[in-house]
Amino acid sequence: MTSLGILAAEMTNTEVWVTNSFFLAIAAVSILAALKMVTTDNVVHAALYLLIVLAAVAAVYVILGAEFAAATQILVYIGAIMVLLLFGVMLTRAQIGSETDLDHDQKWIGALISVVLAAVMGYSLWEAFSDAKLPDNRVPQGTEAVADSIFGIYIVPFEAISVLLLAALIGAVVVARRD
Amino acid sequence: MIGANLLGSSFGGVLAQIEQTPFVRPHIDWHAVAPELVLLAGGALVTVVDVIGLEKVRRIIPSLTSLVFLAAFVPVLTLWNQQGDLPRVMWDGAYVVDNYSLVLKGLFLLSGYVIVLLSTNYMLEGDYYDSEYYQLISASVLGMLVMTSARDLVSIFVAIELVSIPAYLMAAWRKRDLKSNEAGLKYMLMGVFASALLLYGMSLLYGMAASTKLTDIAAALSIGESKPIFTLAIVFTVVGFGFKVSAVPFHTWAPDTYEGAPTPLTAFLAVASKAAGFVALLNVVIIGFPGQADVVEPLMWVLAAATMTVGNLIAIRQTNIVRMLAYSGVAQAGYMLAPLAVFGDRPGQATSAVVTYLVIYAAMNLGAFAVVIIAARKTGSGEISSYGGLFNYAPGLTVAMTLFLFSLAGIPPVGGWYAKFEIFRVLTDGGSGAGVSLAIIAAVNSVFAAFYYLAILKQMWFMPAPDGDHSRISIPPSLQAALGVTVFVTIVTGSVLIGPLSDITKLADLALP
Repeated sequence: MTSLGILAAEMTNTEVWVTNSFFLAIAAVSILAALKMVTTDNVVHAALYLLIVLAAVAAVYVILGAEFAAATQILVYIGAIMVLLLFGVMLTRAQIGSETDLDHDQKWIGALISVVLAAVMGYSLWEAFSDAKLPDNRVPQGTEAVADSIFGIYIVPFEAISVLLLAALIGAVVVARRD
Repeated sequence: MIGANLLGSSFGGVLAQIEQTPFVRPHIDWHAVAPELVLLAGGALVTVVDVIGLEKVRRIIPSLTSLVFLAAFVPVLTLWNQQGDLPRVMWDGAYVVDNYSLVLKGLFLLSGYVIVLLSTNYMLEGDYYDSEYYQLISASVLGMLVMTSARDLVSIFVAIELVSIPAYLMAAWRKRDLKSNEAGLKYMLMGVFASALLLYGMSLLYGMAASTKLTDIAAALSIGESKPIFTLAIVFTVVGFGFKVSAVPFHTWAPDTYEGAPTPLTAFLAVASKAAGFVALLNVVIIGFPGQADVVEPLMWVLAAATMTVGNLIAIRQTNIVRMLAYSGVAQAGYMLAPLAVFGDRPGQATSAVVTYLVIYAAMNLGAFAVVIIAARKTGSGEISSYGGLFNYAPGLTVAMTLFLFSLAGIPPVGGWYAKFEIFRVLTDGGSGAGVSLAIIAAVNSVFAAFYYLAILKQMWFMPAPDGDHSRISIPPSLQAALGVTVFVTIVTGSVLIGPLSDITKLADLALP
């Protein structure tokens, strides 16, 4: 909870240092967990590593002072989607435990593409944002501000999403129903 | 100790810094959002009637849905009457109702109406969950209406998902057919992948502009020299939309999905859903990327040339008419992408050309699908060879199909030629090498395309019926109506109504707030 509510301009050097170390630690954990997630041969373990990645993202939101995004990340991704994923593994015929035949012969092409993509995106992002700084006058993005914009300029997408969820619900019932 | 300090100062900071600004209720122009609201209320009504009446109301649900589409069309007309050149702007420019969005709203509502007409007998006779199908259709069309007015990234993304997600489910509607399952699954996986790319591009755009509004993004992309990150964001966004409009090389889902999905839904995907993708692309490219035209134009040139060429080359080899129409739709998407390869100098003219093409394309393609659905009622087959002898036992149907195929091939006097003419005019007007070369590629492709369209004509007019069965086809009233509407629009847009059509689609510059 280091910087929640602190203006960057008001931070002492120690506070900046603590925030940065928190960020680096979280980033390292999430990268390691992401790598383990794609290399592990156990579906349930992969799901749990994904959980660490998602939790790390929530922690980054907290450092940035976006409390609503952090809470939503935890509620939706960790609370709902991960549970759904584990239920999916449990209810389908997916094997729980190690699997040996998860590899296939296109993995080197896939690896090559991801390395190239990472290089291109990494270079572009570095080139554009390496000397960018968070603005000094930023305030934490409170839940109230999020609520105001949802019912302000984002009211149309907000209403559209409620129709989307209803339609998805109706369609999913029809498609999944046994008859 | 540090922790305690931090906690203390953090609470102090919160109290001092967050100003309690009262919520200002945004101004809502109720007339401007009336089409969406009528469709929303009508869709809800359909759902409620279905939930209460169940099996008893099953037969009236299609009529109710089509009435909802027509009712939502009324405010589009009244808005068009009141509309000067001044657009109605809401929510700080995030939602705009102008001539461009009204033309497209009308197009989507009428396409939705024709789709319901096409679906009525298919769904009723096929033992599907039909009431739910109409609810999903209206939800999807609502997404299209929102798309036409959306001028910020959040609205555009939500709208495109509202269009797509019901369509993923409807593609799998023939549950007992493995091909339909495959159609739904393929469409969903590719669509979700495209959405992920699109979101990544949008997040980069937001990162640069610190705003989701397209006008702010345009401003952020126009200052300073071009950076790699601009290109990256533009490529991701365009690729994401490329999947939705089935541009080559992102078209691989289209043929399998089109073949496996229920045929009326295939018409919906090939016409309405593709048009919605084009509207999103137009909004983002014309309003958001004018400052980066020299990045977007070559990208669009390659996409357009590849899309029309590959689409036509594969369409020639198809023996199933639905797959052939799918690939021909891919090729048509290539023609529609072409004006975006020269949009930098003439954004208004390019927009008008694409919108004109969308309107005519909707009429002729829906018409072709109507004939396919009617013919399949007798032959039960989608093979082109099953169209042999159609002229002998269904002369009216054959003439209608001939009109649609002439139109698709761009032969006057039916609509298609005017749509193609507008595309060529945009491409060649500036006299730029890129535009003229693309026009030549498009012209060569049109000749190629005529080849496979005419092959169907030959089959219908001159070949004998494959099984010697010459009994007449009975056409139910809803399909007659669909055929009537599409034949009418296809004929008048290519002849008597060219003047009014070019007035309607003569659109003001989108970038004006």
